[in-house]
Amino acid sequence: MGEQKIAEDNVLAIRDLAVEFKTDIGMTYAVRDVSFSVPRGKVTAVVGESGSGKSVTANCIMRLIQPPGKIVSGSIDFSPTRTDGYDIVSLSNKDPRLFDLRGDLMSMVFQEPMTALSPVYTVGNQVAEAILCHRDVSEAEAWQEAVDMLTRVGIDDVSRRIHQYPFEFSGGMRQRVVIAMALVCNPELLICDEPTTALDVTIQAEILTLIRDLQQELKNSVLFITHDLGVVAQLADQVVVMYQGRVLEIGTVRQVLKDPLHPYTRGLLAAIPGLAQKGERLETISSVVGDADLETPYPLTQMADGRQVSLSPDLLREAGHE
Amino acid sequence: MSETLLEVNGLSKSFDGVVAVDDVSFSLNSSETLGIVGESGSGKTTLARCVLRAIDPDAGTVRFHGKHGQYDLHNLSERELIPLRQEMQMVFQDPFSSLNPRMTVQEIMEEPLIIHGIGDRASRREAVLDILSRVQLEQDALTRYPHAFSGGQRQRIGIARALVLRPKLVVCDESVSALDVSVQAQIINLLEDLQDELGLTYLFVAHNLSVVHHICDRILVMYHGRVVEEGPVEEVFNNPQQDYTKLLLSAIPSPDPDVPLVPIDRANLNL
Ligand SMILES: Nc1ncnc2c1ncn2[C@@H]1O[C@H](COP(=O)(O)OP(=O)(O)OP(=O)(O)O)[C@@H](O)[C@H]1O
Ligand SMILES: Nc1ncnc2c1ncn2[C@@H]1O[C@H](COP(=O)(O)OP(=O)(O)OP(=O)(O)O)[C@@H](O)[C@H]1O
Ligand SMILES: [Mg+2]
Ligand SMILES: [Mg+2]
Repeated sequence: MGEQKIAEDNVLAIRDLAVEFKTDIGMTYAVRDVSFSVPRGKVTAVVGESGSGKSVTANCIMRLIQPPGKIVSGSIDFSPTRTDGYDIVSLSNKDPRLFDLRGDLMSMVFQEPMTALSPVYTVGNQVAEAILCHRDVSEAEAWQEAVDMLTRVGIDDVSRRIHQYPFEFSGGMRQRVVIAMALVCNPELLICDEPTTALDVTIQAEILTLIRDLQQELKNSVLFITHDLGVVAQLADQVVVMYQGRVLEIGTVRQVLKDPLHPYTRGLLAAIPGLAQKGERLETISSVVGDADLETPYPLTQMADGRQVSLSPDLLREAGHE
Repeated sequence: MSETLLEVNGLSKSFDGVVAVDDVSFSLNSSETLGIVGESGSGKTTLARCVLRAIDPDAGTVRFHGKHGQYDLHNLSERELIPLRQEMQMVFQDPFSSLNPRMTVQEIMEEPLIIHGIGDRASRREAVLDILSRVQLEQDALTRYPHAFSGGQRQRIGIARALVLRPKLVVCDESVSALDVSVQAQIINLLEDLQDELGLTYLFVAHNLSVVHHICDRILVMYHGRVVEEGPVEEVFNNPQQDYTKLLLSAIPSPDPDVPLVPIDRANLNL
């Protein structure tokens, strides 16, 4: 079996998206002309360092950008199977489709579990409410599904735990509750913003396996934001590398991680503490990137093997373009 | 021979009958880095908070060798603890909830210095600027509020706030977990540099075992509130004795897509 070509059937197509934040100290160009697609039924990972615009991009998809932030240009074409497609960016704030978008057609698991959980309701209440909000089922049915889903994401002793409040859960258990809430309505697109960052490795491994298994079973599309290339390697089909609000490289997981074209991607890989280099200073991105130009927004160029990269003309030639 | 900084004996803590920390003992030498690993809910944060007396343990003793003598932290009143808190700082797991959203970065970083009555306005600003540049934040960050920073940037502010007091003991609770690898590498290098320069001692709580392997001298492996394995980091990594430690090590996701994750098999755990 050769390299998989990126699918033509996309659940999401982001084109020339730009987001600005107007703050006291001036304008932050959080996302600049970002274009990429999320193939249906696949896992797309967005990687990049802190502040590169990963979360802002995800928040645009759910239309969660609030002042002083503003989407200044671009489109996000959403093509669900359950209903007709539309451009998310151009929906008005009162459009009823926004309600279906959030929590039903799409759902999001955030970096900090407490942003998604209310401190004043029990865990069971919150998961059941997520079901009742979007589906026509009885309270008893919703409660039963909540129990099933919480069991499924690995909460022990669910019949007791379900009556507890989020503060009685450890960080990792809270995130499992959030994942349960995100999955109960079987979303077409699941957006995960660093969902395993606060978890220990065993739970992370279990959650990654869980997301992967559910994704293969339900065939939903996943946009997975992380800075951990180990997580990317285990989960993603396609990888988008972001830096300072721009996309630097797009390709299949093997292309990007085994044969990165961009020096920045090579830096990301080199900065992972390997088991060999104990006692040595860690490589940082800048020590790997050297004097390669990261500042000029070179256009994303389509390469012969289907991948895309933003490089200076010199480096592009070295990478074998034309 | 390095000196002992911390001696913990028989610490236990329960919440409503749930045992979070169960009879934990360890000691920590000055300038050493001790890693605490274990799964979610194994009691790492509770242990760290009991050690710092952020919460009161149900049983056990914590002896701290401070600048001005030895103290049994579990016996001290809240008032008597205040001067010692300067020598023991914590960097939290969740950068979002640990920073006051209504304070500017300047105020956040200066607050510990003011609380402990250190320096005047000018020298405090100097201390703040020094640490700020060490964690690679620009000076214009000082006038901004936490919400204007990304997750990783906020964690750097949390680390800066802890280091501004120049403590002896720094408890890092998942402090680099939320950072991207580049900043993580910089912060790890920074923590190691500061350790050399200032003789800092770290209690390093983390789930990222490759980071723990890199930065720690010794590790404690916790499971259900108990220490199940302890030893020099190389020994534990190369020759883990307990099934649970082996399971933890096998769970590290490899950045090579051709090295798949082995599914976690708890059923065959022998504990
Ligand atoms: N509410 C806000 N006000 C001002 N600037 C903001 C705001 N939210 C985000 N930004 C800026 O937008 C840029 C992108 O931030 P974003 O949160 O998307 O980064 P990220 O890639 O998710 O980083 P991390 O890995 O740290 O979560 C950053 O420079 C950040 O400072
Ligand atoms: N304030 C509290 N009230 C009730 N139970 C608590 C409280 N704090 C912690 N616990 C319980 O104590 C146990 C240990 O939690 P702790 O937060 O110490 O784990 P941890 O190892 O730090 O986990 P994580 O890796 O998820 O941060 C868990 O069962 C948790 O539910
Ligand atoms: Mg983010
Ligand atoms: Mg914890």
